[in-house]
Amino acid sequence: MQAEQEIVDRLCEEFPFLKGRVHVQRQKRIFTGHLVKEEFEQVIRYLHNNMGFYKANHVVGTDEGENLGFIYLLSNKEGIMLALKEIAPKSDPKINSMTCIYPSLERHERELVDLFGAEVQGLPEGPSYPLPDGWPKGNYPLRKEWKPEYFDKNTMTYNPPDAGNDKGKR
Amino acid sequence: MKLLEKAINWATRKSPWIIHYNSGSCNGCDIETIDALTPRFDLERIGIIQQGSPRHADILICTGAVTIQTRDRLKQIYDQMPEPKYVIAVGTCACSGGIFDGCYCVMGGVDSVIPVDVYVPGCAVRPEAIISAVQKLLDTIGESKKKRDSNAKSLADSMNNNNLTRGMKNNTENNAENNGQDGGDLCAS
Amino acid sequence: MEKVDENKERAENKENEENKESKQNRETSERNRIVIPIGPQHPSLKEPSSFIITLEGEKVVDAVIGVGYVHRGIEKACESRTYIQNLYLIERVCGICSHTHSTAFCQGIEELAGITIPRRAAYIRVIVAELERLHSHLLWLGVAAHEIGFDTLFMYSWRDREKVLDVLAEICGNRVNYGINTIGGVRRDIDSEMMQDTLKMADYLEGQLKYYLDLVMTDKVLSARLVGIGKLSREDALKFGVVGPVARAAGIMDDIRIIEPYAAYDEIPVNPVTDTHADVFGRTVVRIKEMLESLEIIRYSVKNIPDGDIAVKAPRRIPAGEVISRTEAPRGENIHYIRSNGTDMPDRVRIRAPSQANWQGMRHMLQGQYLADIPITIAAIDPCYSCTDRAIVVNSESGTEIMDWQGLRQYSIEWYKKRGIDVSLVKMPERKFYA
Ligand code: SF4
Repeated sequence: MQAEQEIVDRLCEEFPFLKGRVHVQRQKRIFTGHLVKEEFEQVIRYLHNNMGFYKANHVVGTDEGENLGFIYLLSNKEGIMLALKEIAPKSDPKINSMTCIYPSLERHERELVDLFGAEVQGLPEGPSYPLPDGWPKGNYPLRKEWKPEYFDKNTMTYNPPDAGNDKGKR
Repeated sequence: MKLLEKAINWATRKSPWIIHYNSGSCNGCDIETIDALTPRFDLERIGIIQQGSPRHADILICTGAVTIQTRDRLKQIYDQMPEPKYVIAVGTCACSGGIFDGCYCVMGGVDSVIPVDVYVPGCAVRPEAIISAVQKLLDTIGESKKKRDSNAKSLADSMNNNNLTRGMKNNTENNAENNGQDGGDLCAS
Repeated sequence: MEKVDENKERAENKENEENKESKQNRETSERNRIVIPIGPQHPSLKEPSSFIITLEGEKVVDAVIGVGYVHRGIEKACESRTYIQNLYLIERVCGICSHTHSTAFCQGIEELAGITIPRRAAYIRVIVAELERLHSHLLWLGVAAHEIGFDTLFMYSWRDREKVLDVLAEICGNRVNYGINTIGGVRRDIDSEMMQDTLKMADYLEGQLKYYLDLVMTDKVLSARLVGIGKLSREDALKFGVVGPVARAAGIMDDIRIIEPYAAYDEIPVNPVTDTHADVFGRTVVRIKEMLESLEIIRYSVKNIPDGDIAVKAPRRIPAGEVISRTEAPRGENIHYIRSNGTDMPDRVRIRAPSQANWQGMRHMLQGQYLADIPITIAAIDPCYSCTDRAIVVNSESGTEIMDWQGLRQYSIEWYKKRGIDVSLVKMPERKFYA
């Protein structure tokens, strides 16, 4: 647990805004709170350049109600995994692509575009992934408000019932 | 029945060529299908060959629930196959959508896209069941529709009567022929 | 840390050089470029995927890879099913590494719920996981052999694979999708007869594997087809974040069983297997040696399995929280992220399967290869088996030509035959073991 705590201390020292927002969850796992774009980019660059987090394993998209969350999973040589979280409002879901420092993230970030409707700026061009061709625009299946029941697969249209009787989850 | 048709049926029965298509399975059924072609089960010994082009195939073995992305491809393959053609839906997913039913990219079973002749339930299907399904299909080729329907019924009955949870302990030295026979109660036409 | 930076710099320099070179050649080459879309493959085995390959003469200059044909929407479905239902759904993410996925999922839930599984259950999970690795690698060996036209080895390894499946069926009750894990432990106990059969299988397989290893290491024809193909250097492997045997073949010791021991791996000795070839040959050797290592792990666990319960009771509602669970799948690191909200259904489940990471390096591996080497290079990361789908060769001068994966494979075999390398003529040497 010592190595993990050292990382947390060093991060808090470098970035005062991280104080109290980053914690060791258990051995080999560090979680941060949600950071906005500017904060996030400083931290991720620092982690990559100065702290030996050479590998980005994955990006997890999450639905945070009004916002979209992005959890970047980074790991270092000792296998310590740091979950760095970024947040962006659904109304303006713009984030910057991190493929410039972690080329391995390309496919994962592409998924965020398709499944969550994030606008990842600076993502290299390529085929969309993983939704099928002809998927209607503006439908982001992993957002909570999108319900598979209302999706007509034959016509590829999304027909929610009138607002009002759409109550909660099934 | 015309003479030519009879001749084709006779030939198909002796050596059907199969084509295998994965329309969105978990791979479980795919590996079992390939398994049926390898030494333990060896479909080739009853004249069945797997090959690549739908234009040369008699039987389409389809595994997995159909996803939106593979739907058109599946139709295309089916259309390219020459008559007479047969479809075997391998696996619970291919029969009905199985565990993936209700997922937003899943259309359902294979029969939601193309007509199916034999359903082989099981997750994953055992190679014996696939062999048996092919055999059953071959038996019905050339029969009249009425006879095929009654066959299907008796098969369904026998399936109900059979204990589906057979002991799984598999004798290591089991020979393929035995396997082929006792896999039979797993499939219905 | 410094080393990593250094490596990165070197890789970047190399890239710049390559860029310069390609700029100079661009003018002349643009005219005789051919673009070949391959797929979406019909994978007899794994995910369908499509490639758009740009050729210059016979060399690949670029490859664009599209995966997603079997995107079914499992993660969304997880959010509307209970944890126990999800266990079986997640097992079916992939029929080949089903046990890894269900182990990762169970581990995550157990961590959230704060339960510790009995040691015996942990050992059973390890035994099944290693059996799964054996069957997956044997399957791969066959597929790779098939892609280079060596069908004898294909049949051999698939026959041996049946032995592993027999043991799996005996222990778990099913040949694929074992269904042995449950939240809080395992569902079936292992008895002494099963252990005997497992050990018997291990002895048999050890002989066979040594025989294959010998064959691969010594046969000149095989090494002509494997050595130097699909290079992915250590630097690039780090850069693209590849995992599992692909990374280990490049000399990176990346094995979750050692980095972060789960289940009973903390008590069981696991020796890392690495290689420095960083090509298809290296990946083959790593996989075969890994199987030998798996046999040792199985023997150790069968001998040292403690007595006791096989499961503890788990609550239906899982306390709110989030967790990252990692396991070592046959293809590499498998990550599950699970977030619960206190109900009996998860709030978010995210699965990062190892192949997803390995696709990333594919483009790089293909660049500079001959068209004839594409099938084996793709097969070497263990993603898909064959393609009965058509690929369309678009040639700006002669119009459109139609070719399929089988055709490409055939082309590759013929191409090498013309150069005097015919793998199908390789004689299997005398062997000491026979089933
Ligand atoms: S039936 Fe089972 S094994 Fe077969 S594809 Fe479906 S989930 Fe996989």
